[in-house]
Amino acid sequence: MHGQMWPSPATAQASVLANDWLLFGTAGLAVAVIVWGLILFSVFRWRRKGQTEGPLPPQFDSNNPLEIAWTAIPLLIVLALFVYTYRAEADVERLAPKPDVIVDVNAYQWNWTFAYQGGPTVQGSFADPPQLVLPLGETVRIVLTSSDVDHAFWVPDFLFKRDAIPGHPTSFDLNPSKLGTYLGRCAEFCGFDHALMDFSVRVVSSSDFNRWRSAHHT
Amino acid sequence: MSPIAEQAVAPPGRSDLLGWLTSTDHKRIGTLYVITSLGFFLVAGALAVVMRTQLARPNSTLVSPHAFNQLFTLHGTAMIFLVVAPFAVGLANFLIPLQIGAPDMAFPRLNATSYWMFLFGGLTVFLGALTSEGAADSGWTAYAPLSEIKISTGLGQDMWIVGVFLVSVATILTAINFITTTFIYRAPGMTMWRIPIFAWEMVATSLLIFMAFPSLAAALLLLFVDRHLGGHAFDPSYGGNAVLWQHLFWFFGHPEVYVLILPYFGVVSEIIPVFSRKPIFGYTGLVIAAFAIAGLSMGVWAHHMFTTGAVDDPFFSFLSFMIAVPTGVKFFNWIGTMWRGSISLATPMLFCVGFLMNFLLGGVTGVMIASPPIDFHAEDSYFIVAHMHYVLGGGSLFAIFAALFFWWPKMFGVKLDERLGKLCFWLLFVGFNVTFFPMHLLGIEGMPRRVFTYPDVGSFPLLNSLATAGSYVMLAGVVAFAWNVVVSTRKRDPVGPDPWEANSLEWWTSSPPPEHNFDDLPPIRSARPVFDAHHPEIAKGGAG
Amino acid sequence: MMVALRLFISSAVFSSVIATAYWIFSKEPTGTFLLGVMSFGLLFVAGYTIVAEREADLVGDRPEARPVDAAGELVGTYSIRSPLPVWTALAVSCVGLGIVVSPAVAALGVVAMLIAGVLFILQSR
Ligand SMILES: [Cu+2]
Repeated sequence: MHGQMWPSPATAQASVLANDWLLFGTAGLAVAVIVWGLILFSVFRWRRKGQTEGPLPPQFDSNNPLEIAWTAIPLLIVLALFVYTYRAEADVERLAPKPDVIVDVNAYQWNWTFAYQGGPTVQGSFADPPQLVLPLGETVRIVLTSSDVDHAFWVPDFLFKRDAIPGHPTSFDLNPSKLGTYLGRCAEFCGFDHALMDFSVRVVSSSDFNRWRSAHHT
Repeated sequence: MSPIAEQAVAPPGRSDLLGWLTSTDHKRIGTLYVITSLGFFLVAGALAVVMRTQLARPNSTLVSPHAFNQLFTLHGTAMIFLVVAPFAVGLANFLIPLQIGAPDMAFPRLNATSYWMFLFGGLTVFLGALTSEGAADSGWTAYAPLSEIKISTGLGQDMWIVGVFLVSVATILTAINFITTTFIYRAPGMTMWRIPIFAWEMVATSLLIFMAFPSLAAALLLLFVDRHLGGHAFDPSYGGNAVLWQHLFWFFGHPEVYVLILPYFGVVSEIIPVFSRKPIFGYTGLVIAAFAIAGLSMGVWAHHMFTTGAVDDPFFSFLSFMIAVPTGVKFFNWIGTMWRGSISLATPMLFCVGFLMNFLLGGVTGVMIASPPIDFHAEDSYFIVAHMHYVLGGGSLFAIFAALFFWWPKMFGVKLDERLGKLCFWLLFVGFNVTFFPMHLLGIEGMPRRVFTYPDVGSFPLLNSLATAGSYVMLAGVVAFAWNVVVSTRKRDPVGPDPWEANSLEWWTSSPPPEHNFDDLPPIRSARPVFDAHHPEIAKGGAG
Repeated sequence: MMVALRLFISSAVFSSVIATAYWIFSKEPTGTFLLGVMSFGLLFVAGYTIVAEREADLVGDRPEARPVDAAGELVGTYSIRSPLPVWTALAVSCVGLGIVVSPAVAALGVVAMLIAGVLFILQSR
């Protein structure tokens, strides 16, 4: 279910999110390496050898052009990152006007209910966590709420989570893009058995989904 | 105002208990804060080692879920409210009057009252562990409705509320004291643009406390009313609003993060120049950056709420990104201070370099999670645990050790041992990175925070074992520090006023300083009065 | 005091700007209320500083002042010892703890607070 180390994006939204990770990861690592380099360079280049103190080094304490530069350049970088991130978020959070499948997800201490509108309701037990079955390539609307405390619906392979807050239902769309079974779990601390509040997601073909749906609809 | 205050009592011996109980001397209160916060640090650190031991292997049953939830609640509450913040308060109590050439704090009795309220508040939180249902177990964030009486039925949660409330009131009172002292009680010639950066950072910190802590106090009061007086502020089943708790809590909680780091920006800004034998680079820029960070940090609280779907993500994302700019300015100023210097890697400086290396990574991951699309995956995962510990552990905690090694001679009159100090640094530095770096990977791979166990999948077991091993190395580093204190205290090797050839006024007076702080003061013509007095050929302004 | 004044005023202005911007972008009442209260608090501090401290002439603000300039000026006479702080803190903690643990402890705390108040008034006379 979860053999490899990095999550592999399994929805259309996750691919957008993965690009954000890639961009920020690369930019962040580049900045970190440059600044780490500057720190270590100054420490080792001007480290005083031995015990003798020697004469005082030059006592300069400011340099206006330099200080303006290292304020302005980071400012431009973060502005660019913000614009990118703003667009990515809009892509991910866009709600389709007519989703193909709507699932009401209810989180409670410490399990989940998946109620398909016009279809079956999946209940799990503690020993046998519930499974959310989703059709490949269709738009799935998740309407998420909680009936007791705050929880969070997290599927690492979707690179996405949303809090389930009582009295505050929220919606998001998923477009599954890869067949397979994925682990899901509660991410917001919710009390005694928070660590064991798991579920799974199985992405199947459209026809398999319809077959499953009618087989389970009572 | 003058350094001459009416003093009648002879300096008492170290062992007089009544003297410590009733003292209103800022140096004694500062010392009490420092020692108390180190005591809480040992307890909170021990709790962390127990947690890491439970998490060393998958499906471990060493610690029950209920006990584990108490462990991380107490660990977080203690580290934030009882260690990192009060250590800074203690250091500032000891240092600010000395650094600005004042005889004491503006309100000495209020100052002492704050300390005792903080101590009793902290003890109240821990005493909850003795109640029948144990200590509070809803996390240091105490999210309602989880912390409501229906679900957290225990007395421990109530004692947590009372304890944290006492601590927050004490903190607000102290903040007012710091601001007043710094603005009013400066020595002749010590203009605001000559006070040490540490004092400036404490002014910014105090302003933040003044703005942020009332929101926490209000949240705690509402929670108490909900629990015992029939209120329903946070209970949706009676028309309350669960998101309201998060707003109130994070309106305090995010500025709090800067309350926990700004003083330590001040600490490294004091230490790096001394061991580079140069003035601090970009004094004005550092001060402006401190206030820019403080101001911006009041408008970013809901970046802890991106995944709620209930807040205006772009607004908070934008301001969070902006904080990277003044923080970057500070980094470049510190590098500029070391640039072409004459650098000695004594223990305090080693810890400052460790601070720079660790905190940089915490800053970079901080910019990453300021992007909501990244936060959607990272939030409430071990990635956040790693980020937060790189800021508060690799950052603040390393600066705490830098401060201990640097100001120990001033506080206690003896230097700590250098060789044991370097051993302590390397154990903590290696241990810290081995513990917390793998947590980034754990989070990306899908491990949620605050779990008492995890399944045997992927690289969870490997990375967790590594983190646990690292925590034992850190423990060894703390033992090395404790051993250092014992050895150095036994040796009784007294130091003079200025063992590091430092810059600011606290190094003018004897170590430890007399009760009235100063017998005399040098002329103050720059931000480095003690350096000027020792190097009249370089001193600015030519005053003798 | 000019520096303090400038700091308080610019903080108040900055936080008012943030509060307004937040309302425009989010229309979210809780955060706007919190930011508004904060701006109001800062405005109050700035106003207080203008009214009460504008004329203050601090020797610490004079760049050329020498230590001798302050000679003879007393910061005030206060004891470096007082049993009041620890007593007051204990009393307040008893009230807080008593509310959740037992009313008797809270009552004890209230009595202790009253004693502290009386002692404080006697001391300051
Ligand atoms: Cu949950």
